[in-house]
Amino acid sequence: MPYENTKTPTRDIVLLVCIMLIPLALSAFFFMGQSLRLDEAQSLWQTSRSVSAIFKQVGSDVHVPFYHLLLHFWQIYFGATIVSARLMSLLFYELSIPALYLLGRTSFNRRIGLYAAFLFALSPFMNWYGNEIRMYTLFTFFTILNQYFFVRIWKARTSLAGEEQRQSHIWAGYILTAVFGVFSHYFFFLNLLAQVVFYFVRWKTFPEGSFRRFLFSAGVVVAAFVPWVLYVLRLGTIGFQEPLLTPPTSVNLFSTFAQFLFGFQNDNINTFFLALWPLVVVLALLALRRKRRALPETEYFLATIILSFAVAFVVSLAIAPVFVSRYLIFTIPSFYLLLGSLFVTYEARFAVFLQRSLALLMVVMLAVEIASPSTPVKENYEQATAYISAHATPQDVIVLSAPFTLYPVQYYYRGASPIETLPLWDRYDFGPIPPFVAANLESEAKTAVGSSQNVYLLLSYDQGYEKTVYDYFNSHYQMVDKEHFSDDLNLYVYKLRYDTAKTSQATTTALR
Amino acid sequence: MNTNYDHTPHDLRTDFLETKTPKMLFVINAVLAVAYFAVLVFFFPIGNKLLFALLIAGEIFHLWQVLTFLYTVWDTEYEAPRNPSFHPPVDVFITVAGEPVELVQKTVAAARAMNYPNFDVYILNDGYVAGKDNWRDIEALASRMAVNCITRTVPGGAKAGNINNALKLTKSPLVAIFDADHVPRGDFLRATAAYFADPTVAFVQTPQFYKNYSENFITKSSWEQQELFFGPICKGKNRLNAATMCGTNMLISREALVDVGGMCTESIAEDFITGLMIHARGWRSVYHGEVLAEGLATEDLLSYSKQQFRWARGALDVIFRYNPLFMRGLSWAQKIQYLASASFYLSGLFVVLDALLPVIYFYTGTVPVIISGMLLASFFLPYLFFTFYVIQRTSNSTFTFPSLGFSMGSFNIQLQALYSAATFQRSAFGITQKKKLEGNFVGLVKWHIAYAALVVGGIVVAFLREGFSASLFNNIAWGALNIIIFLPFIRAAFPERTRNQSVPLGTPVAQRTYAVRKH
Repeated sequence: MPYENTKTPTRDIVLLVCIMLIPLALSAFFFMGQSLRLDEAQSLWQTSRSVSAIFKQVGSDVHVPFYHLLLHFWQIYFGATIVSARLMSLLFYELSIPALYLLGRTSFNRRIGLYAAFLFALSPFMNWYGNEIRMYTLFTFFTILNQYFFVRIWKARTSLAGEEQRQSHIWAGYILTAVFGVFSHYFFFLNLLAQVVFYFVRWKTFPEGSFRRFLFSAGVVVAAFVPWVLYVLRLGTIGFQEPLLTPPTSVNLFSTFAQFLFGFQNDNINTFFLALWPLVVVLALLALRRKRRALPETEYFLATIILSFAVAFVVSLAIAPVFVSRYLIFTIPSFYLLLGSLFVTYEARFAVFLQRSLALLMVVMLAVEIASPSTPVKENYEQATAYISAHATPQDVIVLSAPFTLYPVQYYYRGASPIETLPLWDRYDFGPIPPFVAANLESEAKTAVGSSQNVYLLLSYDQGYEKTVYDYFNSHYQMVDKEHFSDDLNLYVYKLRYDTAKTSQATTTALR
Repeated sequence: MNTNYDHTPHDLRTDFLETKTPKMLFVINAVLAVAYFAVLVFFFPIGNKLLFALLIAGEIFHLWQVLTFLYTVWDTEYEAPRNPSFHPPVDVFITVAGEPVELVQKTVAAARAMNYPNFDVYILNDGYVAGKDNWRDIEALASRMAVNCITRTVPGGAKAGNINNALKLTKSPLVAIFDADHVPRGDFLRATAAYFADPTVAFVQTPQFYKNYSENFITKSSWEQQELFFGPICKGKNRLNAATMCGTNMLISREALVDVGGMCTESIAEDFITGLMIHARGWRSVYHGEVLAEGLATEDLLSYSKQQFRWARGALDVIFRYNPLFMRGLSWAQKIQYLASASFYLSGLFVVLDALLPVIYFYTGTVPVIISGMLLASFFLPYLFFTFYVIQRTSNSTFTFPSLGFSMGSFNIQLQALYSAATFQRSAFGITQKKKLEGNFVGLVKWHIAYAALVVGGIVVAFLREGFSASLFNNIAWGALNIIIFLPFIRAAFPERTRNQSVPLGTPVAQRTYAVRKH
């Protein structure tokens, strides 16, 4: 089907500008001022170093270096602050909105493009990562662009006169976005995999010579990426800094879709949404309408989602856990486009009802995500460290577990108390974080607390041993205070000695 | 512009016959179906044993349905050999039992106008034995239109008896049979007689198209139900020499019919059983996938229900009285095909069982399996969605939600038919009503409404018992899903605005305009 290759109507431009204002406003009022989170602190730490150190750091992580290099230079020009770094993510989020509109318009029509862009701007999930100092919006942006060029290539056979002359530009755009894409996130290869599968299923509908050009494109991507692979293999340290991931279950599978629509919600809300899954069947049933057959475009976007989820799931079970909803963020544009295209298969009034209901529900859940203290991804290290700064003295010690939570705590903490981790870890030592060994806990804990007067035990990011650490301190020391800052971020204060003249304020606080 | 669906101009008379589908889709569908079944049966701890047994019985039935469907539609492109120059004499029977004269007149006129060298038209007038007032008018019509009229005076055997009576009084080697409302196209005989160059061919069946498709919701949904059957299913059966005899729009060999003792008079689905007998005697059958005659669908829910009951009862007779498994002369493919067709009408039983599971949970808290909802969903949803996709591909996107709703919503009719077939009750043959009966037919959907009430009441009971829980939400969703599926059938019970324009031949749907009138 020929795509709408006309000039973008002024009305659409105005609407897109309005849509783009939504994340901007949400960011300004709610998201930008949030506390730095672990991953963000890690990004800031990694990108604050030299280019060669960045390569080494990222090579030891589970990521690729494009985002880190970009952020490194961004901070040089725009300042090394949290807001500045978050603005870069927001920029790519904002740019993704018109890109998604274009992709939708090219694949289906302008109305579906607009609706998908609207959902994208309302998305609690996208808004979260649109304000996080991580590569996810960059990754999403290049995925959308790459999909756009792919669809343009595919539709070139049926395009209008004059399109042929622009083919080289489209191929160049495709190759360029593919190269940038694979350096944005390893999961970008799943996007390319879906394109390969779609090509082999629909090869007859691609323009002549496509196979040769795709081979060339693949050659360029491989040539660009192989040096990085060799470098990482030479380092031999990939995954050194990755938090422990557990193998996914079917719940993770469906939770990811729920997150894509309704963002990060507490267990009760998630359970409610997931329990209603049979109603998805209703949507499928109502789509059974005369001559409403799935278009190849639908198959392409569906393939992107299904293949990506399936590969991530199977790899997680068979090799190593990699099934993380944020890694699959690049499928959100496909998901929203599919929803938009599904809705228009329904009877007109019902379609409008569904479109508005979904948008409204997303707005409500966005509000809950922002307002609820039980939103699971909130990490209020800023408040936690502020509390510690106000209470801890140089005679006290701060003990962190898991060890990598050192990144956000060190970013914020300006006090004089020493910071230790359990298990003990020196982040300047190259290599993986030492594993937790229960038998070593006592000796490591004694080393960590030394002769301090009070211990500020900050527990977050449970790596499977948090309770053991908590139990140890509880059974060996007297708890004098405890604070809860956000989901899974808890502070416990223990008194070790009474013989110091000046007691900290913490010790005077009644046990709550 | 909405570009989410195919804008290719399409025609109701040909769309459903474009059935070619990649076989890989069937393989994937079968794998998903078996995987879902295996997971459900073997991987979840059993809850209530009785409910579990019923659930598994239902799943076995659904698996049977899916696998036999896939087997049937595996190849729908087979075409039987034919000789277009083969033109043996034909007697054209138009069966009449009280239908309006104007209606019969159109059919007779079209039959007379058929482009074929050697045929006679007979009106088989059963009005007298059926006690219809207009039987004399039909005789007068025959006289006026210079066609033969055979008026029975001795009753028996309903439509089958009528045809058997005419067989004794006629002699052409081939017999074309049309219901009073089924208007044949000019090339009907030329297109179908060509297959009889093969002397082993017993009958050629053509689709039963409803030209009043756009009349109202019921006619539309009825035709959409037919499309799946007369499209991929009948075309698939053609490959397996298991074409279904439908009693109208067909050409049949007199010799074959005589060989089985004429049309079967012992069942109210005389056509279906006669076809079975013919196959058992080793004759061949052909399905000609082209609309060559156009009839009328029932226009109200009462007439629809009666027709469905007749079809269901006749089909279930195959299971209870003429079970093909134990019938000699049938190939295994034919046995499977007849069982698959007949067992379709057992669906009602399993629709009810499935629908009752959430209700039982609401009132008792009992479940058939102790299940992780998301694990179930991860097998069930791909299986279900893919099955829908395959059905859409094989039916060229003519399968619709209302047609599914009608099939599943007819559970009460199918249960009635099941009871009467299982207890060998006699059921009278009823002529399908050709004129719309006015009013609403809420009584026909009382069970559906009662189910909705049970669900609503059950939600309250379950909430009082356990408060809001994941299980409660999940079962509310299942209950809601069942109610939504019944909605098309419930809707059909109430008067509606109708579209009173029939579909001219060859008119693409996109160009049709509807005249809307209020009742």
